[in-house]
Amino acid sequence: MTAIEDVHTDPGVDEDGHVPGEGDMWFFVVFESLVFTSYFCVYLYYRAQHEHAFLKAQSALNLPLGIVETILLLTSSWAIARCVQEVRAARYRSAQRLAMVTAGLGVAFLGCKLAEWVRLIGEGHTFTSSEFMQHFFFLTGMHAIHLLIGFVVLGVILYQLADPRRRSHQTIETCSTYWHTVDLFWVLIFALLYIVR
Amino acid sequence: MSIGASLRTDPKRELWFVWYSTVAFYSLYSVVFFVLTRTQPPGRPWLTPEQTVGWFADRHWGLLVGFALIFVLGGFSATSIALITYSIRRMSVSRAYAYSYLILYAIAAIPGFLFICVAMTVGAMRPERDPTLMHWLYDFGFLSFSGTMGVFLVGSLVWMAAILLDKNGVFPRWFGYLNLCNALTEVVIAPSWIFQRGVLAWNGVIAWWIDVAVFGMYTVVFIYLLRSLIQRDDLGTGPVPALPPAAAPRAHPLAKVLAG
Amino acid sequence: METSAKKRLLVAWVVVVAITVMYLWMDRSADDRGVLVTSVAVTVAAIGLALVKFRIIVREFMDVCHAPPALRRMTDLLVVVIVVALLSAYFVGRAVT
Repeated sequence: MTAIEDVHTDPGVDEDGHVPGEGDMWFFVVFESLVFTSYFCVYLYYRAQHEHAFLKAQSALNLPLGIVETILLLTSSWAIARCVQEVRAARYRSAQRLAMVTAGLGVAFLGCKLAEWVRLIGEGHTFTSSEFMQHFFFLTGMHAIHLLIGFVVLGVILYQLADPRRRSHQTIETCSTYWHTVDLFWVLIFALLYIVR
Repeated sequence: MSIGASLRTDPKRELWFVWYSTVAFYSLYSVVFFVLTRTQPPGRPWLTPEQTVGWFADRHWGLLVGFALIFVLGGFSATSIALITYSIRRMSVSRAYAYSYLILYAIAAIPGFLFICVAMTVGAMRPERDPTLMHWLYDFGFLSFSGTMGVFLVGSLVWMAAILLDKNGVFPRWFGYLNLCNALTEVVIAPSWIFQRGVLAWNGVIAWWIDVAVFGMYTVVFIYLLRSLIQRDDLGTGPVPALPPAAAPRAHPLAKVLAG
Repeated sequence: METSAKKRLLVAWVVVVAITVMYLWMDRSADDRGVLVTSVAVTVAAIGLALVKFRIIVREFMDVCHAPPALRRMTDLLVVVIVVALLSAYFVGRAVT
């Protein structure tokens, strides 16, 4: 066991001091969070200006489906966090399985999202049908793009895990940090689009 | 040492010349688009043909003089593209990345930079033109400027990939991730082809104001990082050395903060 | 211990999922007998709970609880900035109407 794994498995050791992944990826987390926050602020501002129109259009959304989607992504975050724990404990096969589970949950989320878009469009709620739907498709679309990038990032994790000559802990943690941001943004998007009144 | 003296003796003088030209170009660009021609922030997409005639009339001399300057000096846009291409060549990655970036940005400059200059000058040249044609020129100018971001987006991704794969330490990795943020904001402009009003129109809060804020930060950062590269560069092919202590820039604040 | 780290992660997952499911109740109770109504209370609560989940994900899933104090403070500051920005946009929007 290396020193890094000892630090994370022995509660007696002071664990302050380990930055999860590259510090540079945390720059991305903060910066992109602020960019998304600016989009959310625009949405909330215009929503507050046209509350009833937004409320009416929002009623077309399927809340239980939104909850399922949220739980899928939360579980994917759990899975990738477990994957990182397994990597630290040098249990790489288990880590590979958890990374695949993460990807599977991501695919399930994407499937639900596509089904939701198709249903909404079929009912006449399109990108241009109302101001609320403009924000809805924009925010969920931008999020979906981040999710697709997330699949590439999970691919990097699986590539790292596949060969004992690779398996850089820092790279895997950095990639997992990216995946969590997909979940972080969805948590906010879900509350703002599906719940906010 | 004065700039003149350092340029005479400095082996990197060609690079410094290109860097100063880049700064001069972006300054010219800002003054022309924001002050002289007032084409940025963009005009409203929902103007009627008669209103666009008024828009052109308000900016008549600004458009003609401002874009005349661009037609004469716009070639300096090549300096920033060339310097960035050089930075990618300095990396350990394949030269294909540098060539891809160079080609993409050179092509993108035509619709993304020159078309609006041509369209708006054509509009300003004959104020008595049919309002429907003026309206057409107005739409063509703004849509080509804003709506062709896709080519720039791929260029940003190429630069990002090169930075993240590079082993010569040409740029810090957080700048690679900033390229991703910049590329994603370029996706945001795509809906401007669909919306004539609202936050996603070509003058919208999201599609223009937030986009330009991110792009502006990104531009300032890469100009600074290119300067840092030239200062550190040993004109070799291996890892780029760190700056000597006397001239070292402040460490990235995030690096110091995260180290605790 | 590895098991305590695993258990802690699972507890964090249960908490965030529970908050998510709580939204269902919040949504049902927000409507006035089936009629849609706007509600400042629901909006503020939804945003507040979202940021609670956000912080749990950052702290527990992203392992910031074991990170240097500076990263912990920075992520907490991010949460505060997001909450303030969102609520400001909402209330300013309402005031300007």
